[in-house]
Amino acid sequence: MITTTALNKSYKKVPVVRDVSLRCEPGTITGFLGANGAGKSTTLKMIVGLVRADRGTATIDGRPFRELPNPTRVVGTLLDASAMHPGRSGRSTLTIAARMAGVHPRRVEHLLDLVGITGSAAKRVGTYSLGMRQRLGVAQALVGEPRALILDEPANGLDPDGIAWMRTLLRDFADRGGTVLLSSHLLHEVEATADHLVVISGGAVVAAGRLDDLLASSTILVRSPDPVALAAALQAARIDHIAGPDDALTVDVSGGRVTTEVVAGVARDHQVLLTELRRSETNGLEQLFFSLTTAEAAPPQESAA
Amino acid sequence: MTTSISARTLGIEAAPSSALGPIPFPRLVLVEWAKATDTRAARWLLALGGLSTAGMMLAPVLAPTSFDQTYASYLGVAALALSILLPVVAILMLTGEWSQRTAFTTFTQEPRRIRVLNAKLAASMVLGGGAAVFGGVVTAAGLGVASASGRALEANLTVGAITGYLLFVLLNVLAGVALGALLQTSATAIAASFALPAACAVLGTASTLVADWIDMSTTWSWVLESDWGGHVPQISVSVIFWVAIPLAAGAVRTIRRDVT
Repeated sequence: MITTTALNKSYKKVPVVRDVSLRCEPGTITGFLGANGAGKSTTLKMIVGLVRADRGTATIDGRPFRELPNPTRVVGTLLDASAMHPGRSGRSTLTIAARMAGVHPRRVEHLLDLVGITGSAAKRVGTYSLGMRQRLGVAQALVGEPRALILDEPANGLDPDGIAWMRTLLRDFADRGGTVLLSSHLLHEVEATADHLVVISGGAVVAAGRLDDLLASSTILVRSPDPVALAAALQAARIDHIAGPDDALTVDVSGGRVTTEVVAGVARDHQVLLTELRRSETNGLEQLFFSLTTAEAAPPQESAA
Repeated sequence: MTTSISARTLGIEAAPSSALGPIPFPRLVLVEWAKATDTRAARWLLALGGLSTAGMMLAPVLAPTSFDQTYASYLGVAALALSILLPVVAILMLTGEWSQRTAFTTFTQEPRRIRVLNAKLAASMVLGGGAAVFGGVVTAAGLGVASASGRALEANLTVGAITGYLLFVLLNVLAGVALGALLQTSATAIAASFALPAACAVLGTASTLVADWIDMSTTWSWVLESDWGGHVPQISVSVIFWVAIPLAAGAVRTIRRDVT
């Protein structure tokens, strides 16, 4: 279990992480989604104690990372696959990690095989592609037989085969009761891998929950030959709605109170004929994500402070 | 490629209880030792250090008129030779974590960074001790060649002289560790390790305070020559200046620094 409570971090008084709270349960894969620079890496580094939080706490299995006696045995981390000594071979990189963790040297060969780099294990890491470094990094993360994994952009540099392999591995890990927290700036990557989602933008969490719930559209489309009467009926029932598309109405259901059944009931009570009533087809998460990333891509506003 | 993965591979089952304790310190030292010696660059540097020591030993052998033909004088040549590259090796042990970015792995595997620093310190002392022994072997070889050429050599090596030699070598390693811990950038720390003593030597010509208390080329040569009489305070101050202060400041910096 990985939890954070209201993590905050500023660099030179510019906040990069603001009140980020997460909770990753055993048996789940949590995708940490955000544009580049949204604060994902800084948050992950605060969880593992590489970066000091200004405020807030982070725990693994209830203990701060820095208090874990031998953290590698509890949580495997891959935070930057390019942060490896280029002059050391893949095998010796992994051997060092295995020695620190205190696991049997036999595990090194086993892991090299698992991540598919046995053939290049004697070569220096400096000659590896980013994809190979990611694989070596995954082996390093798994070296201490951990119960949790924290991975920063693990799909970076992997070819499609590698990405599929990584998904299978992580799914398998979670299915056996492991906890996975991985970050990505690609919505589709997270959709395909994770079952829980935390979306971060500008350093703050803007959406969190089960992937299924977040992917479900957050609006209902309702159509009547008499849109004015329908609008009045919804108004009377205090159901938020907007006009469109065309002469249909769009009802906000994000609060959870309003369902298609509720809307149908209101229409019946007010004797309004409905010709269409369904969940909107728009992908709420995708809309949300793109609106956020587009906003970030726009030039930043001058701050008043 | 393996798609079926055993639970053991993924390691979700509870780790054996022995694994739940902290990483034993000797293991940390062994790992730091391996990291300091297992790359091609490190081996080249060590080989270069060995070669330059052997090369400099030729000086008293080939130029008997310029050097005292005594055991202690030959050992002094080895000490000076070692003091050139050994601090660089020590610096790289510390700065490598940042310049090669291995701090990501090191400090997530052992988040108590002070333990890693202590392990590096211990490994560097092993390295210094090994280098001192190597220097002793080179000295013996030099003395052997000199005496084979029919020269008379004064056998003046006392326990005190050997202790002084060992301390001198270790102090140079410690100064490298301290500078590396403090500056954390390979190029800056190596440049400083050559420039600062040189600067002190220059300042020493203007100020006897610097010359007698700070300039390590003076104070540590007393150590090398085992000339402790009346020099202990000066030696202590220079050790505090070049080792204790930068090491303590470097430890604080290392512990507080964000790894990004």
